[in-house]
Amino acid sequence: MLFVVLLWELVWIRGLPAYILGPFEILKHFFAALGSAELYGDIGSSLMRSVPGFVIGAVLGSALGLAAGISRVLDRMLSPMIFLSYPVPKIVMLPLFMLWFGIGDISKVLIIALACFYPTFINAYYGAKSTPKILVWSALNLGATRWQVFCRVVVPSALPLIFAGLRVSLALSFIVMFAAEMINANSGLGHLIRVAESGLRFDLMYVSLLSIAILGYLSDSLLRLTRQRVLAWKEQGA
Amino acid sequence: MSRLVPFVLIGAALAGWEIAARSGMWSPLLLPSLANIGYEFGLFFSRADRLFEAWTSLHRALGGFALAAMTGVIIGMLMGRSAFVAGLLDPLFSGTYAVPKLALFPIFIFAFGIGSLSKVALVFLECLYPIVIITCHGARGVDRVLLWSAKNMGASRGEILRRVVVPATAPFIFAGFRVALPVALIVVIMTEMVSSADGLGYQVIYALASLKTDRMLALVVVIALLGWLLDKALVVLRDRLVYWEKLETYYV
Repeated sequence: MLFVVLLWELVWIRGLPAYILGPFEILKHFFAALGSAELYGDIGSSLMRSVPGFVIGAVLGSALGLAAGISRVLDRMLSPMIFLSYPVPKIVMLPLFMLWFGIGDISKVLIIALACFYPTFINAYYGAKSTPKILVWSALNLGATRWQVFCRVVVPSALPLIFAGLRVSLALSFIVMFAAEMINANSGLGHLIRVAESGLRFDLMYVSLLSIAILGYLSDSLLRLTRQRVLAWKEQGA
Repeated sequence: MSRLVPFVLIGAALAGWEIAARSGMWSPLLLPSLANIGYEFGLFFSRADRLFEAWTSLHRALGGFALAAMTGVIIGMLMGRSAFVAGLLDPLFSGTYAVPKLALFPIFIFAFGIGSLSKVALVFLECLYPIVIITCHGARGVDRVLLWSAKNMGASRGEILRRVVVPATAPFIFAGFRVALPVALIVVIMTEMVSSADGLGYQVIYALASLKTDRMLALVVVIALLGWLLDKALVVLRDRLVYWEKLETYYV
């Protein structure tokens, strides 16, 4: 990693096209931008879209996924539709959402929620389905009610997969947020990069790129930390 | 009767749509009727130039995906089987995993032009990550007993790789492909929406801008169909090649 950065800096000193900046140059611009309020506004409005979208999608996805995993009727009603539409790129719905809900934040939050819904649903679904039957039987035998079985057996055994789904959704929420903002928005990091691009402001481009990278990395680390706390008994997988 | 349960929700959604469209409460610009969408859908398949747009998108998506598949499997295998390569590349991949690579698109435009190349490069980059990470996970988890027995029976390193490691990793490789293929399509459509003059993504934006909602929705259906077909094709291929292991969850 360090090697890549060094090589990059060296090559940059040797001279590259104007659209590639050296790593230290980028850091300089980034810290300069951190001092101005403008960047925080864009980061804030980006987060205002991606976080609610992620939360709505993740909560709905895990709840419905768990429900479909344990109830046969729901499974047969929901699953065909969801598995059919899963490989469909959800971003194509953005123009439609823009027509229905306006070009403001609502359409973007909803498209992010839609994109986040699928991975969490599928993982929660398989998580609930793959609960070892023996555990459920023993719990029932020991006199647990259905609700207790759900809370104490099904959910914990589905949690590792749910977290895997959440991690995919989180990455997706940033991708979709960025794309939606690039397609149309008047604030946010995606918008900033578009403006910078058309104004040939390469420094701004890299600043917004770096901020989104840091945001993505931080939120992913946060999620992994939560997973470690919640799933202390389970080793970290892929 | 219980056979029909899976179609209840889909049927209700379609019926609700048609009723809402015919009720006249919303303008057909917002909510075109299914008949109009169907008409545009038929038009799509009867016009060579429209089909060509689909082909443009498809070859970008598949080109980037194929490149990523080849590179990703090799890198993933190396990372899974060699501690040195893993130590070298793992920080790079897991550190930038959560970063949306799409953000690089404007720079790719400058570097590779606004034609197909910048899009294929971006598809390659976005698809590379899931393939590398899942392949590496699979290659690392090869049953040690199998490796030892193969070595004991006098298999060379090349043979072990070919006959033990690759077959044992194959389900994971396909799981990676299955994550990456929809991503390829997403990225292509997205980049075409942002900057392009051809391809399905551009057609969607164009139809939206000319207030042809029915045409736009027909294109959405086409894209959906394309994504679904690609996924199905991949699953069929997987079941042919990895016939000894059934799909238990969605991916593995």
